[in-house]
Amino acid sequence: MKALMSLGALIGVAGLLLLGGMVFDVVPSTTIRLVEGYMPIQMLLEVACYVIGFTGLSYMMNAMGMAIPRFWQGIGFWVFFLLYLKYRMYPPIPFSVRAMYGTVSLVAVFMWVSASEEDWQKFKQPIMNVLDAQTGGNRLLRYLYLVLLPILIGGFSFNAMMPKSEEPIELRTVHPAPPASTKVHGKTYTLQTSQNPYRVNPEGKYDQEFSNANIVEQGMGRLMKPNANPWDDKNQGYLKYVREGGEIFFQNCHFCHGDNLNGRGLHAFAFNPIPANFTDPGTIAQLQETFIFWRVSKGGIGLPNEGFPWASVMPPWEQHLTVDEIWKVVLFEYWHTGYYPRTWD
Amino acid sequence: MGLLAGKRVFSIMALCMMVSLLLLPIVVALPSLAIGEEAPAGDAAKKDGDKVEKGRDVYYKTEGIVVGAPAPKTVDGPRDYPRYNFESRVLLWFANQQHLYYGSFVLAVPIFCMIIEFMGVVTKDKALAKRYDQLAYDFIKISLTAYSLTAILGGILIFTFLTLYPAFFSYLSGIFRPVMHIYALMFVAESGTLYIYYYGWDKMKEGFLKWIHLSMSVILNIIGTLLMFLANSWIGFMMSPAGVDEQGRYLGNIWHVIHTALWNPLNLHRILGNMAFGGGVVAAYAAYKFLASKTEEDRAHYDWMGYIAMALGVAFLIPLPFAGYWLMREVYAYRQQMGITLMGGLLAWLFIIQATMIGILFLSTNYYLWQAMGRMRGAEKYQRYIKYLVFILACGYMVFITPHTMVMTPAELKAMGGQQHPVLGNYGVMSAKNGGINVIITTTVLSFVWYMRGNKVSTVSWAKFGNIFMGIFFACAYFNIIFLAVYGYYIPANVRVGLSVPQVATTLSCLFFMFALNSVMMKGAKQLGPIEWGKISARSQYALIMLATAFTWMMGLMGYIRSSVRLFWHVNEIMRDNSPWAYTHTVGFAANMISFNVLFFWITILFVFWLGSLGAKKVPVESKAGIPGGVPQPAASH
Repeated sequence: MKALMSLGALIGVAGLLLLGGMVFDVVPSTTIRLVEGYMPIQMLLEVACYVIGFTGLSYMMNAMGMAIPRFWQGIGFWVFFLLYLKYRMYPPIPFSVRAMYGTVSLVAVFMWVSASEEDWQKFKQPIMNVLDAQTGGNRLLRYLYLVLLPILIGGFSFNAMMPKSEEPIELRTVHPAPPASTKVHGKTYTLQTSQNPYRVNPEGKYDQEFSNANIVEQGMGRLMKPNANPWDDKNQGYLKYVREGGEIFFQNCHFCHGDNLNGRGLHAFAFNPIPANFTDPGTIAQLQETFIFWRVSKGGIGLPNEGFPWASVMPPWEQHLTVDEIWKVVLFEYWHTGYYPRTWD
Repeated sequence: MGLLAGKRVFSIMALCMMVSLLLLPIVVALPSLAIGEEAPAGDAAKKDGDKVEKGRDVYYKTEGIVVGAPAPKTVDGPRDYPRYNFESRVLLWFANQQHLYYGSFVLAVPIFCMIIEFMGVVTKDKALAKRYDQLAYDFIKISLTAYSLTAILGGILIFTFLTLYPAFFSYLSGIFRPVMHIYALMFVAESGTLYIYYYGWDKMKEGFLKWIHLSMSVILNIIGTLLMFLANSWIGFMMSPAGVDEQGRYLGNIWHVIHTALWNPLNLHRILGNMAFGGGVVAAYAAYKFLASKTEEDRAHYDWMGYIAMALGVAFLIPLPFAGYWLMREVYAYRQQMGITLMGGLLAWLFIIQATMIGILFLSTNYYLWQAMGRMRGAEKYQRYIKYLVFILACGYMVFITPHTMVMTPAELKAMGGQQHPVLGNYGVMSAKNGGINVIITTTVLSFVWYMRGNKVSTVSWAKFGNIFMGIFFACAYFNIIFLAVYGYYIPANVRVGLSVPQVATTLSCLFFMFALNSVMMKGAKQLGPIEWGKISARSQYALIMLATAFTWMMGLMGYIRSSVRLFWHVNEIMRDNSPWAYTHTVGFAANMISFNVLFFWITILFVFWLGSLGAKKVPVESKAGIPGGVPQPAASH
């Protein structure tokens, strides 16, 4: 048990040193890379490691007769988590999300320190000591709080009320609800029921399973499946249309949406917001193919009221591409990202 | 003897009368139901020969004879939208929400009473049986005053509709004409049954008569549930109309109008929601009484009452997210646009707020249980592991509330390099969120298991094996839920949606199987000490109040979301809202309005509680003997 706790303590100290380095910009945040594709679980695992480390550290300090008071354990963990979010995570997390996480972690710390009466007494003892002010030091602290707290609150209020020249926050609806049907090149498509006419097997029949079996491996690397290379001239059906869609994509779309379809094309950063990242699991992976067909055809100008403030410079591609070309591009986007279009069966 | 026989005959007659009351609306409605199905076709055909106009059902796609007028094409003006110098929609929102709060409460409490009264009847411990009976009586007493208020608010709601939205209300009542009076008669049946049930409590408290009394509560709840189903059919029709043609003309089949695409999911969701809400309100009442108690006895009684109400509420809270998931699935299946507006589009941020509230509910429940372990001697052994449960809950909660589209300044957006964060954006999709909520619920189940065995040591010979098995079971459950959440990113969306089934199954297996195993292990267990009712921290009672407030706020929020998803339609795709208020409110306005509704409800329910306490003060001191508060140490049972 002691050996395990010592190991935990070692992890805790190493983790704290690493984070300290990141806070003071001695160690870059990317020292331990957040691996694409597995990042969310990596963050949780890292925090779990810290918790194990802190448990070990607390145990060892206790064994050495230098127990950390519960009050400072609670405050310390909360501060650690705020610093972790601010300095470890990259790219930077917006303040709104850090505020949400900070509140949750504060509540969690409160739940921890007040779960049992004994813990709660230990936690609030330093606060009660300052309020009771039985010693000179505590009396001094109490007066300090009396002066500092109003100044602090006043400072926050001043900061909040002070006029700023920042651009306002936008609560943008990224995926506005599509219409029931859309008319492209004179033909009406019902979005709920229409299908991509090029999602077909080599015999030319609509075959979702066949196309699903031939998309690239989703995740790191995005490797092609064996014998499923669209650039092989012998391939027919789905893979042939993926190739044609790819050609259209690289002639028209990749300037903004990027070679890897991750929204980081040559012109991407001229726009605000930057173009959609198709490799994100929250974009095309969440949507029906017909939704993409509608968005590509109608572009930013065709966004419905719900798409306020219509922050999209995407051209209405129906003015430049044929219906067949649009369907093929959509097919290519799903193939390349390794995502499957949403279906309702 | 003669008196007893007389009582029996009287109570059986009362029961029969209730059944008749229950059947009355159905009997009265039979001709109209028949007319709905067949008569128009036959009569119309005879009178007009081949002039019969047929229409196609917008949902069922069946053909029917047109028997109703088309949905009115309203125009903004005093004829269709008369108004005060105020936004009519907000007035209607307020009236509707208050009626719903009270309606939910008075429908949920009798179900509690039925359960608790049943527990009292079947329990062998006479002291405990008496306590359960008194508790059920206390519950129904609270709901009785609330019942009159519900009826008053219902009247206000109808007047608000008639005054401010006459064209819409006229159309809706025209469509539902065959069942409008059934609803009214059901209300009469509900009132009659409730009063007989309440006032007959003392007269039917033992033996056979008690069973008759219990049967009355079953009938009362059947009537209440049918009432709610009927009310649900109206909102189901407004969201996903059926039984009418494209112009909104009624096609003669009232069952189609009632049984719309969303009716059944709404019914299930509302039953569970009402129960959880009712439990929360009663728990808050008990918490308030606990905090105001001056004696140990009162504290013990209200501590116990709060625990029972919380446990019943949470029992219905646990399956609630799954019922909500089914509802959303049906919404997507009905109209993709509606689903996207709700969960990915205009109203998506409200869903993040909803996730926050759901998290608060579960966190409060866990916190209460941990505090409740403080009143058991022997539960200390679990206290040191609570920090790990806090960690797991916090992780699940953070994943559950992470928005996919984050609120950020343009500068933050540029720094992030795109609309979605490459790390946290992954938490914003359903796969991760399903994992998050299932982790939270499984942890809540674990807290319950710890609470149930807090002051006990199993004496069965296989106790060690049982404990190891339970530990492995929970570990596997966590692993399975998290694995499926991650795996969901690598499979087609339609398969991913299906993954929620094994995740839910895992959580529910923990719930049922672990509870059952724990009960078997704890049968005849050695007690390390009694449950010292009343010796619980004040913090626990604030957790109960938090639980109730979060329920109330969430109900208001979900009602708003459900209603506003129709956007500019009174009846989706059938009757357009042409009033000046056919736009969606901002998130901030909606949140303020919901908060106002919550505040108003709590102020008025405090008034109801106060009225209830006035009645209690009139009870003579002698008759109080033997009531639960009079028992210093309630039974140790959970």
